[in-house]
Amino acid sequence: MDKIPDVLVRPEFEASDIGKASTADVARKLTLIERISDMHSVRKLSILVIVVIVWEVYSRLSGVSELILPKFSATALALADAVFSEQLLYMVWNSITVLISGYAIGIVIATLLTTAAATTRFGSDILSTLTAMLNPLPAIALLPLALLWFGLGADAIIFTLLHSVIWPVALNAHVGFMSVSETQRMVGRNYGLRGIVYVVKLLIPAAFPQILMGLKIGWSYAWRTLIAAELVFGGSISDTSEGASGGLGWFIFVSQMDLRIAYVFAGLFMVILVGVVVETVVFNKIESLTVRKWGMQAR
Amino acid sequence: MDTKNSTAAGSTPAVADTKPILEVDGVTLQYKTKEHLITATYRVGFDVYPADRFVLLGPSGCGKSTLLKGIAGYMKPVEGAIRLKGREISDPGPDRVMVFQEFDQLLPWKTVKQNITFALRNGGKSDNAAEADDIAMEYIQKVKLSGFEDTYPHMLSGGMKQRVAIARGMAMEPDVLLMDEPFAALDALTRLQMQKELLQLWEDTHFTVLFVTHSIEEALIVGSRILVLSPHPGQVKAELNAFDLNHENVGTKEFVEVQQRIHDMLFADRILEDEIQTGDKG
Repeated sequence: MDKIPDVLVRPEFEASDIGKASTADVARKLTLIERISDMHSVRKLSILVIVVIVWEVYSRLSGVSELILPKFSATALALADAVFSEQLLYMVWNSITVLISGYAIGIVIATLLTTAAATTRFGSDILSTLTAMLNPLPAIALLPLALLWFGLGADAIIFTLLHSVIWPVALNAHVGFMSVSETQRMVGRNYGLRGIVYVVKLLIPAAFPQILMGLKIGWSYAWRTLIAAELVFGGSISDTSEGASGGLGWFIFVSQMDLRIAYVFAGLFMVILVGVVVETVVFNKIESLTVRKWGMQAR
Repeated sequence: MDTKNSTAAGSTPAVADTKPILEVDGVTLQYKTKEHLITATYRVGFDVYPADRFVLLGPSGCGKSTLLKGIAGYMKPVEGAIRLKGREISDPGPDRVMVFQEFDQLLPWKTVKQNITFALRNGGKSDNAAEADDIAMEYIQKVKLSGFEDTYPHMLSGGMKQRVAIARGMAMEPDVLLMDEPFAALDALTRLQMQKELLQLWEDTHFTVLFVTHSIEEALIVGSRILVLSPHPGQVKAELNAFDLNHENVGTKEFVEVQQRIHDMLFADRILEDEIQTGDKG
């Protein structure tokens, strides 16, 4: 056994004048390269460029059939052609309008459910039971029923969209309200907030990170469901007066039927593009104006 | 009640002709946990007079925070009454503003100034945005946060957040400012600084404050009068004067004597304390 060492007593000292630190710079400006390579967008973009190059080179060298994998350049041309001469953007717009009406109605219903859940125990039981039961059900699985009930039309699609929007939005908002801290609730009541004013001025902003998360999830579920539903029967939501009919999903479906595989790829690219734009531009903007500015990211 | 009055800390100011601003009269408070009905305080009574720095002191489990919640109006007493200026308290209201220990008492979606104007506007203190702004700026300056009025709370340090909460509470000019261990979550140096600043603010306006703490030293420094509570359930052990004790005489003979006396009072019957798990609601 070693002996436990005694405290070693050393003399104290106090620096008389520490002067200016003479070694490295306290804050050195990074070089241009360092700054560029650190930029998020630059790093992500370079990955995309690599994917495109690999795609183009592979499809040229391997001699794979255009019907299996069209070249990137062919896809790009097809996309341009679809946009400029086949009114692809109009079809995208068709899809988005259906999506927005489904999304909006879904949010209204989710709000009602959440209000019921927040105010009564019965409402809370309803919400948790229904969510647990219906959340695992893919919205697209409801499409056959929806067709039976609502016929071939936008109504059937909107019904399936409702299913994909309501549960994530209501559940997240409910969790958000539940997790507002007791202190913040007491603060609100201390300053005389009651009833609906209390909900609007205190509970909603306090639960906003969670509410926003629900809206985001609801949006992405709805977008996927919509494209899937349109693949099945998008042709029937037609607006023949404009010449173009159906939505983006229908465009993909028809292109595949006509064996215009480059156009299928172009359609898929459009699906990704809309999804990414909404996610990164719209929701990111809302986030940076609200929860990120407030330092309250969702838990 | 075994309230033992004491004049150890010097001559008491005359109270005969002044009315108490807050009367707590034989108050028993209970709350439920998942398995127990906890009696937090049992027949506690005391009077707070204008310009008092009244401290509720006791170990955890003496119901001091619960008592403060009762006074704030978040809980109803099962026995006894709490009266503010003679009127019985039934609900939370802006005439009794609470400053909490938790930093999240500031609304994160509002800037420092907006947190204060939010209170002023909703608490019925000001109907006019420009006026509320002026009041807010005045109190921001008082707590030495000028320049931070447009900052969001998450950018502030713990001490700064508590300063904002105090500014918000004082701007409301409540009949009594309720402070629930407001400095407990701060580091020791910041806590000392905040205690000094609170006393300076009190020197300015002589507001009435009810301050909860479990630190004997803090009670003696901050308080002018101290109610000592015993735990499980909270009962009044003593009411002491401490208006001549502050930072300057920490460690002096008088200070240490009172400190020791309270310490003995609180820990004399430590052995009798049973091991009920109360979930420690203070």
